[in-house]
Order: sequence, then structure tokens, then C-alpha cells
Amino acid sequence: MNTDYIDLDDIQGNIVKAYGRFGYPVARYLFFQFHELDEGRQFVESLLPLLTTSRPWFSETGLPPATTNIAFSYQGLKHLGLPTKCLHSFPEEFSMGMKARAKILGDDLKSAPEHWDPVWQNDKRIHMFMSINAQTQEALEQRYDTILTLLSRHGDAVELLRGHRGSEGDEMPYQEARAIYKHGVPTSKEHFGYSDGISDPFFKGSGGNPANLLGGGKPTRGNPATEEGWEPLETGEFILGYRDEAQELPMAPVPHLLSMNGTFMVFRKLHENVGSFNRYIQEVGKDFPGGSEALAAKMAGRWRNGAPMALFPTEAEANAFASELETARVKAKAAATELERQRAQEYYLTLRKKLTGFNYDSDIGGQKCPMGSHIRRANPRGCLEYGVKDAFATPGALDNRRRILRRGLPYGTVTDPTSDEGEHGIIFMAINASIERQFEFVQQQWINYGNDFKLANEKDPLLGNHHGNEDFIIQGSGPDNPPFFCRNIPRFVTTRGGEYFFVPSLTAIRMIACGLVDPT
Amino acid sequence: MFGNSPQPTPLTLLSPIKNGCSGDQSYVSLTRAYLQSLNKLPLSPMAAVPNTFLCRFYILNDVFFEGSPAREDHLQSKYLVFCSNFHGDLETYLRGFWQHANEHIRSAWRYCVGFDAVNDVTDFIAYIKKCMVKTTFYFNGSTGAPLKEQLKALYLKQELSAFVSRHQGDSPEKLRAEFMRFLACAQPDNLDGPSWAPGLSKLGEQQTTNSEVDA
Repeated sequence: MNTDYIDLDDIQGNIVKAYGRFGYPVARYLFFQFHELDEGRQFVESLLPLLTTSRPWFSETGLPPATTNIAFSYQGLKHLGLPTKCLHSFPEEFSMGMKARAKILGDDLKSAPEHWDPVWQNDKRIHMFMSINAQTQEALEQRYDTILTLLSRHGDAVELLRGHRGSEGDEMPYQEARAIYKHGVPTSKEHFGYSDGISDPFFKGSGGNPANLLGGGKPTRGNPATEEGWEPLETGEFILGYRDEAQELPMAPVPHLLSMNGTFMVFRKLHENVGSFNRYIQEVGKDFPGGSEALAAKMAGRWRNGAPMALFPTEAEANAFASELETARVKAKAAATELERQRAQEYYLTLRKKLTGFNYDSDIGGQKCPMGSHIRRANPRGCLEYGVKDAFATPGALDNRRRILRRGLPYGTVTDPTSDEGEHGIIFMAINASIERQFEFVQQQWINYGNDFKLANEKDPLLGNHHGNEDFIIQGSGPDNPPFFCRNIPRFVTTRGGEYFFVPSLTAIRMIACGLVDPT
Repeated sequence: MFGNSPQPTPLTLLSPIKNGCSGDQSYVSLTRAYLQSLNKLPLSPMAAVPNTFLCRFYILNDVFFEGSPAREDHLQSKYLVFCSNFHGDLETYLRGFWQHANEHIRSAWRYCVGFDAVNDVTDFIAYIKKCMVKTTFYFNGSTGAPLKEQLKALYLKQELSAFVSRHQGDSPEKLRAEFMRFLACAQPDNLDGPSWAPGLSKLGEQQTTNSEVDA
């Protein structure tokens, strides 16, 4: 597959390739307001040399200690003087902003915008997003200082906005995020204890391991445990200016140079109610066959160690797999000779495919992985055909255009696992060519509703905006294994802020900074 | 003044830009940044190139995908495209180009394949000829007359309109006296006298002083 035409030097970083929580376990997210047009443009221009592109890093020595990327809200583009015709060519959900879409997203009760962090209270002030991802805390601080120095040249004309709630109060000038560490090493865990970020869409031009095609691509009718079961998604689902799954160029703002190699990003600060979660799985788990760990697995569709329920239906199988995978990983790293290393690596990758190389063809009724579990909702893997042979031209007909790239990290620390209080959760960042068709659809129809899964108005057990009176059904397999009803699920995840951003190409950023965007 | 003038001479050329990077920026990005920086100058460097009627630089990123079932094709390089309509023969034009906009040539073509070998005007002419493609569309708006004649004609048209407007209703005697004064200032037969300067896009940018005409 030749994807040389994808302009990796022009696309910002963390889109085509993920920075990853192992290489870049610490991050800081900054939000700026432009009070004066020319100063705003000059600040953006001064950032250009610091911006990280999608160009691959071929060796570990080539990795920059810190990365920097920026994106603009609709208000930001307006305050940088983008011509009206360009502004009007952006999609409606983007120009409205996340707050105005609260009903669609289900951000109600404690997730309602009035409860968000102070920085989000006046969303018209959020103009520019900046992410700094770093290999170490020192590199992060160093890059942050560089940014502050550049900012200081603009006096009050460009403002770094305060008002992020953090462990040190409500007025932090940035949102901190970092992988959860164990014994000084970053892990893939989030605060509920699940391994996260296992499967992400794989598209034409995706960097990283081709093995990520399994489960990351779009399903074919081949064996899902092999490459034959998957094809890369079209680039245009994630980057503007390239062919998408409709076999055309995605709708994009004008002029072409403004949108080409750009994309849209969803930023959400999601608080995790760890106390409620732990209490619920303990209490309900007492009645559930397999106990609380099995209940947690049924909710997610994966065991907390990452093993998918579809392939490893019992805890013993899942634990055996996880331990074999870890042993293989360590062996591959520690191999003495090149030949040994290659063999060990090959074996590790074969095992690793089992994390993602599956679908639900042998589990149509959800007896292994419940119909309403989180991963089955978020990435249906062609299961919306419901086993009807050739129901659609391709098994992924209903889900290939609903995929999102996830690029977030956990934030905060859980100090009391019995309490919902505190500052900890997930910074959820999703990349897609259309926020409405991809992220918003998944959030509204698949996370907070269940009809596509034949589950009426049932919600995602983990992420749904539960009101306290909803159920989650775990399908059974027969009279000896009846269905199990998880009653009155509390809200485990609460929204605490967020906005929609446009992530321009390097070319477009320069044009915006120089006032050269011309829609005619 | 140039009722039976020939067609302008057209030139279209596509120069492949090298794939690759200099530092953190790709060659195409650097080329585009240079071309876009010209928008900020008061006057295009091409204004200094004799007999250029209209010209345009742009970058051809790729061929456009028109949707299925069209075949998806891609170019192997991105191209710097230069189109120009000018007066006279190609070689004379390119010599003037090399002489009067040398720095601009070096900046615009710097990252193009094969341009490293261009050291003098002979190399430049040979290089341009290699990059040339057949022109089938002309810019609409000029004849083929020499630029100085065209600019003088535009200038006279503008000034005469202003004169007529200013003196509407004057007595024949006054009108005649004013017109003689107008002719003396505007010097219709003198191509080196008051005229438009090349490269201007707005009336307000008029550089040749015509305050006497307006007085």
C-alpha cells in the first residue's frame, strides 16, 4: 500500500501516529485567548518552529524530548481574523462549540456545563488549544517555560487562561495529564483499573505497527485473527483532503489549503467516579457469577488486564493470557542475540494480535461479550450485521464511518478509592474528519442510547450518562446461565469541560498567522 | 495605439519540487512560504521583469480526487507552477527575467529538482525549456503590445476620464486651454513620460506623479 502522497511533514503530530503513553507519559494542555488580532497572529507565528509534525521517528534517539501542537476553536479562528466566508464554511457543530451541543452529548446533571471547571465557564474565551507531551517531567517544564517566554512578548494581548481544577486548587493555568505509574514505570491503566487505549483505528498512512490493522481497520469477511480479516480505513476519515469511506473527499472548510492535512479534535475532561465504580462492582459483583472482576470485564468487554471477553471468556483464561503476553514482552526486550530477539519479538507480536484480532461472529448474542459492553459499542467490528449473511455489502457498513482516533491520557491521582471526590479521570481527545458524524454520533447513539444494539434506550455501562435508574443487561447462554440485570447503575463518568477544535496543517497555521487565508 | 497587436507570448512551466526536508520543514513548505511572503510586499518582484503582462506562481500539490468511480491518481512530486504572458520572444524575456529578478528566481526555484545546476542565464534558459508545457489558455486582459505601450494606454484612459469628469460644462475656450495643458502634462506620445508603473494593482498605488495633470 503506497501512501507516500500523504503529506506527513504538513500534518501535525499525534494524528497519524500517536505519541503514546509509554514514550510520552506526561502532558500539559494549555488554552489561550487572543485579545488583539495582530499580537495573536504574531504569537501563533512564533510557535511554528516548535510544532511537531507527523513525520515518523525512525529510532528512539530521534525522539524529541517534548512535542508541541496547537488547534483553534471557532472563536479562535474568528479572533485571528479568518475571513467570514471561511468561517461560514466550517461545520455547524464546530462553530456552535461543545457547550451548545450539551443535549446531544448527554452532558446533563453533574456533567452539565455549569459544573465544568472555571476555565470553561466562558467558552467564548477559549481560542487556542496547545498540547505539550514529553518524555520526562523536566522536558515538559522546559518546553512550558519556552512557551511562557514567547507569550511574555505579547503582554496582555494574548492570555494563558487560568481556571483548571487540579490538586493545587481551581485556578491552575493548565490541565495536567500523565500516565498512571506503577513502580516508577508508566502503565496503560486508567483510574478504574482497566488497561486503556488498546485498539485505535488503523487507516491508510497510519504510522506504527502494521499489526494494529487487526481490530483497528475495517472488517472484511476474512478471519479476524489474521490480516485477511481487516483492511485499513480510508485516510479521509481522519484527515481532511484525502479519500474517505464514502469514496470522496470529506466535506471541509474553504479554501482547500486551509483544510488540507487538517482535522478536527474533541477535547473532554472526564472525571471518573472511582468510589461509585468500586462500590458498584463490589456490591453487584457479590451476586454475579464470577464476582466483581468478571462484572467489571462484562461492562467493558475486556478484562481489566486488557484480554478481550470475546476470546477469553473466563478470568483464568484471561489471566493466563495476560501473564504469557507480559513474559513474552520482557523476553523480547531481554533477548541476548539478534536472532533470539527476532524470534521472541515475533512470538510476542503473535500473542499481541489476540488483544485486537477478533470480532463477534461467534458471539452474535453477546454471551461472551455483552451486546451493550463498552468496546462492543465503541467499535462494533461489523457486529451490526447480527450474523445475517451478507446483510450489507461489507460487514462494517454501519460502523466504518463512525470511527475516532483516541489520543488522551489520564489525569490526577486517586487518593481515596472509596470516594468520588478529587481530581482524577481521563483527558479524552478524539480526532476525526467530522465531529458530528463520528464523535457526536458515537456519543449520542452508541454511548447514551442502545437501539443500534437492540438494547432500546440502554446506555454504555461505563461511559453512559446514567440517571441512577438504568439497567445493563449481561446476556446469558441458556437456562443454566440466565441473563443478569445490573440494576440502577450510577454515573461513573462526569464531564468537567471540553471544546471542539480545528487542527490545521503547518501550512494553514502559517497562513492563519500571516493573515493570508483567502477564500476567493 | 495597438489595434493590430499580436497575441502575447505564453509560458507555462512545471518544475518538480524535491521530496524531502530542510531542518523541520519540507521543501514544498519552504517554497510555499516564500511564495506567500510575496503577498506582503508592496510590489511583486516580477514587476521588475520587463514586458510581463500577467504572471502567477502556485504549487501543484497533487491531482484532485474526484470521487468514486474515478481512479485515484497521485503525482510523484509536488510542482512549482509558473505561468506568464509577456511581450516578445521567450529567450529575450528569460534574459530580462534573469537579469532583473535574479534573487527572486533563486528563492522560488531553490528547492526544485535540477535547479542546483543553474548557474547562469544560459543554464536558466535551458532549465526553463525543460520544464515547459504547452500553453492552451491565456490570461484574459492584455494584447501582445509591449508593456510600456499598454501601461501608457491605461494611464491615458484613466487620466482622460478624470479630465472629462472634471471639466464637464466648461466653456469651449476654457476646455481647450485645459486640454492643451492636459496634453502637455500627460505627454501621450512619450512612453517614458507619465504612465503607470509595472506591478501596481490599485490606483492608489500609482507611483508616477500626475499632480500636474490633476491641478
